[in-house]
Amino acid sequence: MKMGAKSEKARGAAPDLGVAIGDMVLKNPVMTASGTFGYGEEYAPYVDLNRLGAIVVKGLSLDPRSGNPPPRIMETPSGMLNAVGLQNVGVRAFIDEKLPFLRRFDTAIVANIFGETVDEYRRMAEILERAEGVHAIEVNISCPNVKKGGIAFGARPELAAEATRGVRGETSLPLIVKLTPNVTDIAEIALAVEEAGADAVSLINTLTGMSVDIETRRPHLANVTGGLSGPAIRPVALRMVWQVVGAVKIPVIGIGGIMTAADALEFLIAGASAIQVGTANFVDPASLLKIRDGIEEYLACHKMASIAELIGSLHTDW
Amino acid sequence: MHETKAMLTGEIIGNRCTAPGHFLMTVRLPPSFATPAPGQFVMIRPTGRGEPLLARPFSVFDFHRIGDHCVLELLYRIAGGGTFLLSEMRPGETLALLGPLGRGFSLPAGVGRAVCVAGGVGVAPLHFLVRSGFLTAKGECPRAVIFYLGARTSDLLVGVERLRDVCDLRICTDDGSLGHRGPVTDLLKGDIGDYEPEQTVVFACGPTPMVRALACLWKENPAPCQVSLEERMACGIGACLGCVVAVGGPGRKTEYRRVCEDGPVFDLREILPTTALGTSGD
Repeated sequence: MKMGAKSEKARGAAPDLGVAIGDMVLKNPVMTASGTFGYGEEYAPYVDLNRLGAIVVKGLSLDPRSGNPPPRIMETPSGMLNAVGLQNVGVRAFIDEKLPFLRRFDTAIVANIFGETVDEYRRMAEILERAEGVHAIEVNISCPNVKKGGIAFGARPELAAEATRGVRGETSLPLIVKLTPNVTDIAEIALAVEEAGADAVSLINTLTGMSVDIETRRPHLANVTGGLSGPAIRPVALRMVWQVVGAVKIPVIGIGGIMTAADALEFLIAGASAIQVGTANFVDPASLLKIRDGIEEYLACHKMASIAELIGSLHTDW
Repeated sequence: MHETKAMLTGEIIGNRCTAPGHFLMTVRLPPSFATPAPGQFVMIRPTGRGEPLLARPFSVFDFHRIGDHCVLELLYRIAGGGTFLLSEMRPGETLALLGPLGRGFSLPAGVGRAVCVAGGVGVAPLHFLVRSGFLTAKGECPRAVIFYLGARTSDLLVGVERLRDVCDLRICTDDGSLGHRGPVTDLLKGDIGDYEPEQTVVFACGPTPMVRALACLWKENPAPCQVSLEERMACGIGACLGCVVAVGGPGRKTEYRRVCEDGPVFDLREILPTTALGTSGD
């Protein structure tokens, strides 16, 4: 603690919200979840991007992808299914057309990448390593809505490790690996990617789900199945984050149905070093900053000078 | 820090059932709500309930500034759980609202005739188009407005009184309970020869079969035709990529475009008849 911190606290100075993810320092633990915040520009009229901990952009592939046919989304109880299928501009167009806008903001930019092969992951990492303004890479080995790659890597420890090693070999940027909950033992996958050189893990991606229109007897999504997100998955996500926190030494980023500051605090108390907000952005673009301010207020109310005092402070003794 | 837009709170002042499963909602909004352009939409959900989780998109049916506030009218039918919950809301209850959103209709210069084609609740954006003065605001010669309004039955027709005053209204019902019996595009087919392409602009909104029939009808007539489309949406502002439609056409790439941000109004000729692109996303 720096000199004078105590007297600042006594005067009611704002608590320190800063967290570190590998070598990346975030001004606060509130990140956007990939695929729910576009490339940042879509939300810029609604959110002061400078106040975010980090922006994780829409999942990028080596070449542009057109995505899945519509309908792509459906609301379900306390959540939504999506099967967008990683429609994106491709990593090169991201760097040329989207990154210059993001560079104008004082926030960390995380490029989320998706590949069908280890070589694709590796090539994207190589390209992003040279891009100015990318602060970290999040490796998506967990998309349930594409037929090749993605979740195929995320469901088996040795393949998850292989994809991670491939990216690690090409970049010194902080490396976050995003995990799927659609596995028997998520801690096993987390350990494998930690061993392979990941600086952090983020979890959970969506849970695979399905919904049927009983009148037409068709699935609500053209892709038949989709990824379930929103409050419906939050208890599952929290349980998995807690399990992974207990298994690995690297930072864990909590994701899954976080709608409010109270939800985010549950993840931080369970040991998440940061959190990502996804579906809540669709419900109200102001969610991210309400969550950020709510965390700050909670720390002040509970007389904590730093968020570090809160992270992993879960009591399991009764 | 820069200025950012936020969701507004609107108070329901009316939520009237106009026909079985059909509702006209009137919402009082603060003056900061920007005047919508015809064809634009808003996203609404009940405040503080958690259900439905996502806001639902509705085209503006009518809009007025009255004194120190705005009044927005939205026409909708119950299409699922979200619209059912909205239909149960009562005057005095509040909505969280985002908008106005999307790209609305545009008016080509020097066109003397506007033809509107509406099916069912698709009347909403065209009602506002005609009522807003948009078609006559540019000080050109008075434009003839011919409005083809169709619905399954006469009780599902909304806005007839308000439209009759301001345009040449031609009514169709599937059951013949009022006006021409049959789809709205049938009636239009008989008149289409009178509409010189260089003098005409067409605005349309309605169910998919109507849009398909219009596309067939319009193969012979090169008059510009703007269609407002509907899709399920999550964000309404271009981020979630949930509301895409396949677009293409001569000399342009076939791709998925967002109804919320790139539309909801599209050129009829660029809307592809199937939802799937030739090239798979996978």
